[in-house]
Amino acid sequence: MPAAVEFTHLDKSFDAVAALRDVSFTIAPGEAHAIVGENGAGKSTLLKILAGELRPDAGELRVDGQPIALGHPREALGRGIGLVHQEMLLFPNLSVAGNIFAGRELTGRFGVLRESAMRDRAREIVARLSLAVSPDTEVESLPIAHRQLLQVARALAFECRVLALDEPTTSLTAAETDHLFRVLDDLKRAGVTLIYVSHRLPEVFRLCDRVTVLRDGRYVDTRPVASATHDDIVQAMVGRTLPSVKSEVSSVRARSSDLRLETSHLSGRGFSDVSLDVSRGEIVGVFGLVGSGRTELLESIVGLRARAEGSVAIDGRPGRFRSPRDAARAGVVLVPEDRQRQGLFFNLNLRHNAVLPSAVTRGVHVISAAERTTARSLLDRWRISAPSIDATPDHLSGGNQQKLVAAKWLATNPRVLLLDEPTKGVDVGAKYEIHGIVRDMAARGAGCLVVSSDLPELLALADRILVMREGRVRGEVPAAEADEERVMRLAATGAVA
Amino acid sequence: MKHVWRAREVSTIVILAIEILFFAWYLRPGGGRPHPFLNAGNALLVLKYSSIYGIAAIGAAIVIISGGIDLSPGAVIALTGVVAGALFVDAHWSLAASAAAGLLVGAACGAFNAVLIVLVRLPPFIATLGVMGIARGAAFIITEGRYFDLSRDLPTDWRMLGIPLDWTSAIVMVALAALFHVLMTRFQWGRAVFALGGNPIAALYSGVRVGLVQASVYVIAATLAALSGIALAIVQGQGKADLAMGYELDIIASAVIGGASLAGGRGSVVGAVLGALIFGVLRNALPQIPGATFYDRLIVGVVVIVIVVMDQVLERRASVARRSE
Repeated sequence: MPAAVEFTHLDKSFDAVAALRDVSFTIAPGEAHAIVGENGAGKSTLLKILAGELRPDAGELRVDGQPIALGHPREALGRGIGLVHQEMLLFPNLSVAGNIFAGRELTGRFGVLRESAMRDRAREIVARLSLAVSPDTEVESLPIAHRQLLQVARALAFECRVLALDEPTTSLTAAETDHLFRVLDDLKRAGVTLIYVSHRLPEVFRLCDRVTVLRDGRYVDTRPVASATHDDIVQAMVGRTLPSVKSEVSSVRARSSDLRLETSHLSGRGFSDVSLDVSRGEIVGVFGLVGSGRTELLESIVGLRARAEGSVAIDGRPGRFRSPRDAARAGVVLVPEDRQRQGLFFNLNLRHNAVLPSAVTRGVHVISAAERTTARSLLDRWRISAPSIDATPDHLSGGNQQKLVAAKWLATNPRVLLLDEPTKGVDVGAKYEIHGIVRDMAARGAGCLVVSSDLPELLALADRILVMREGRVRGEVPAAEADEERVMRLAATGAVA
Repeated sequence: MKHVWRAREVSTIVILAIEILFFAWYLRPGGGRPHPFLNAGNALLVLKYSSIYGIAAIGAAIVIISGGIDLSPGAVIALTGVVAGALFVDAHWSLAASAAAGLLVGAACGAFNAVLIVLVRLPPFIATLGVMGIARGAAFIITEGRYFDLSRDLPTDWRMLGIPLDWTSAIVMVALAALFHVLMTRFQWGRAVFALGGNPIAALYSGVRVGLVQASVYVIAATLAALSGIALAIVQGQGKADLAMGYELDIIASAVIGGASLAGGRGSVVGAVLGALIFGVLRNALPQIPGATFYDRLIVGVVVIVIVVMDQVLERRASVARRSE
C-alpha cells in the first residue's frame, strides 16, 4: 500500500529565511501522525504546502503514491486533502451551510445553488460533530469553539481522506478539546489519515500513533508515540536539554505590605465584584477558562473597557484610566493576548516596534541613534533572534514576536505588568524565556498579574493563583498548595476541594 | 416569514416610504390644485432620473460586496454617451448599434480595471482611479470640446419591445435589479462574490476561482455603468464629455445606503436600487421647495451619514440579540 502522503526533499524559503530544508518523510494510510517542533520549525509551512496553499522551492509531494501538482488549492482539495487552519479561515458573513460548502457548492444546471440539499447535508455533518447549531446561523455569531469544529465540518463535507489540523486546540477549553478529540477518534476509525500539529504534547500522546519532530526547518526524526516519552520529544524539539520548567517552582516570596495594584469590587461587562491585590515583586496568576471574564478584567483596568462599579488603586493612589496611554503613564501596562492584532505593528521595523512605548524623544522629535541602541540592547537582552533591527516583525517566529511584545514594555519600567496569555501558541524554549522576563520584572519591583489558561504555566510562575469562573473570582490557591486538580475543579465547578 | 422582515432591504424601503410621505405632506397643495409631487407623471420622472444612478449602483453594490471599490462609473457613463453619440450623430449608425458599441467600450473599461486589479495586482481604489481619468480623458479627446446632439435624430415614437423610450431605462433598472438579485443569492457565482468579500484568503484556499470572480465583478460593474451612460444620453439627448461628473460618489453612496458594507461581504443589489431611489426622490422634491436647491449636496451628505450610522446601530443591536439567543 503506498503512503498516504510522502514528502520528498522539500525546500521552502521566505525572503532569505529558510522555513523548510530538505524535509522528507512519509505518512502511512489511516494513521494519526503528529508533527511537533518549536515555533519557526516549519510545521505550518509544511501543512500549507500539502494543501496547495504554498508552492515549495524544490521537492516533491505524493498522495497515495501519485505526484500532486504543487501550489494549487483546488487540486489538493480534489485529491481529498483537507486543512484546518490555525487562524480560522472562515467566512463570517456566510451561514454555517454556506461556509461548509464555500467553493464547492452543490449546484444544479448553470450553477444554480441547491440550497435545501446543502442545508440538509450541512445538518447531517454538523450532527456528526455533535454541534448544536442551525445550518442557517451566520458564522459571525458563533463562539470560537464552534468555529473550530466548523472548519473540520468543511473538510468532512467533501469526504477528505487526509485531514491536517494546525494547532486546533489553542482557543478551546478542556471540554471543547475533548469534544474535538472524540470527533477525530471517529474519523480515524472511519479510515481518515490525520496529520496533527500541536505544541501540546499531552494531546499528541492522547491522539497520535507516530510523531515527527522538525527543528529549524529540518527533519529530525519520526518515532512511534508508544515508545517515546515527553522528555525525549521536547529534547528533540529544542535540541538541548532545558531545565525543567516545572522543577523551577518559584519560592513563595514574602508578601510585602506595599500593594502595587489593588482592585475592590470591580464590576463591568463580563466580570463582577472582583477584589484582588498584587504586591511589589509578586506574581499573581489568574486562571480561568475562555469566557471567564479574565481578559475583560485586564482590559478594564487599563481603561479599554468601561467599568460599572468598583475602584482600582495603583501604589495606594486611585487609578481610573481613560486609555492604555493614560495607564502607561501611571506605570500600568498590558501585554495583550493577540500579538498579531493587538501587540505589533507589522508595517514598522523591529526598532520602531521595540521602542514605541518608551520612544526616546526630545520634545516630539525621535532621536534615532538612541532608539537604535535601546532597540538593539532590548533584542540582545531577551535573545530575540531577528535578521536585523530594521526587519519587520513578520520575519520573526511566533515565540520571538511574543518576546518582543513583552519586552518592549521593559524599557518603561512599569510598576504593574498585566499579561494576558503570555505564552499562547509559543514553543517550549520561548515560553521558558518569557517566564524569565516576567520573573525579572517582578524581581525589579513590579507587581505582575498573569492571566493564563495554561495551568502548568501558572503553577510554575505564580506566587498565588486566583481562579475565575463566570466573571467572578471563585477562590485563591497559594502556589505551594496548588495542584492541577484542585485549581481545575475550582475553575470548572466553583467547588473548593 | 420572520427572516423576511429582518432583511436589510426592509429598512431601506421604510426610509424611502418615510421620505415620500414627508414630501407628500410638506409639498401638499392648497385649494384643490393637483399635487406637485405625488402624481404619476412625477413618479415616472423620479424613476427615469434615478435609473441613471440606479443601474450603475447595481454594479457598484456587487463590487463592494466582493470587497472592492470602483471609482470609474461616472467617467464610463460619460465616455459611453460620447461614443454612442458620435456613432449615432456623426456616423449615422442606428440607435441600437450605437448603444451596443457604447456598451462594448464600457465593458472594455471594466476589463482594463480587471487586468489592473487581478493581474497587475493594483489596489482597486488606485486601478479604478486611473481608469476613471483615462475614460474621462478619452471622452474629451473624442469630443474636442463639442457635444453630440442626439435629440434631433432620436425617433420620438421609438419603442423597445413595445415600451416607450421614456419608460425604458426605469424598466431596465428594475429588470436588472431582479436579475442580479437572483444571480447573487441563488447562483454559485454570487456565493463566490460574497465569499470573496467575506474572506479573500479563505476563498482562495477553498478553491474559489478568485481571479475570475474578481474580474467578472469589475467587467459587470463597468458594463452596467455603460448602460447608465446610454440611459443618460437618451434622457439628456446629448453625448458630452463633462456629463456625469462626480456621479461615482452618488453611485457608491446609493449602494452603501442600500446596505453594502465597504468592508466587503455584505450588501444587496435591490438595496442599491432602493438607495438610488432615495436620492432620486430627494433630487426631485428639493427643487420644489423654494431655496432648498442650494441645500441639495449638503442634504445628500447628511442623509448618507445618518442612514449608515442608523444601520450600524441596528446591526449592533441585532448581533447582540443574536448572541444572547
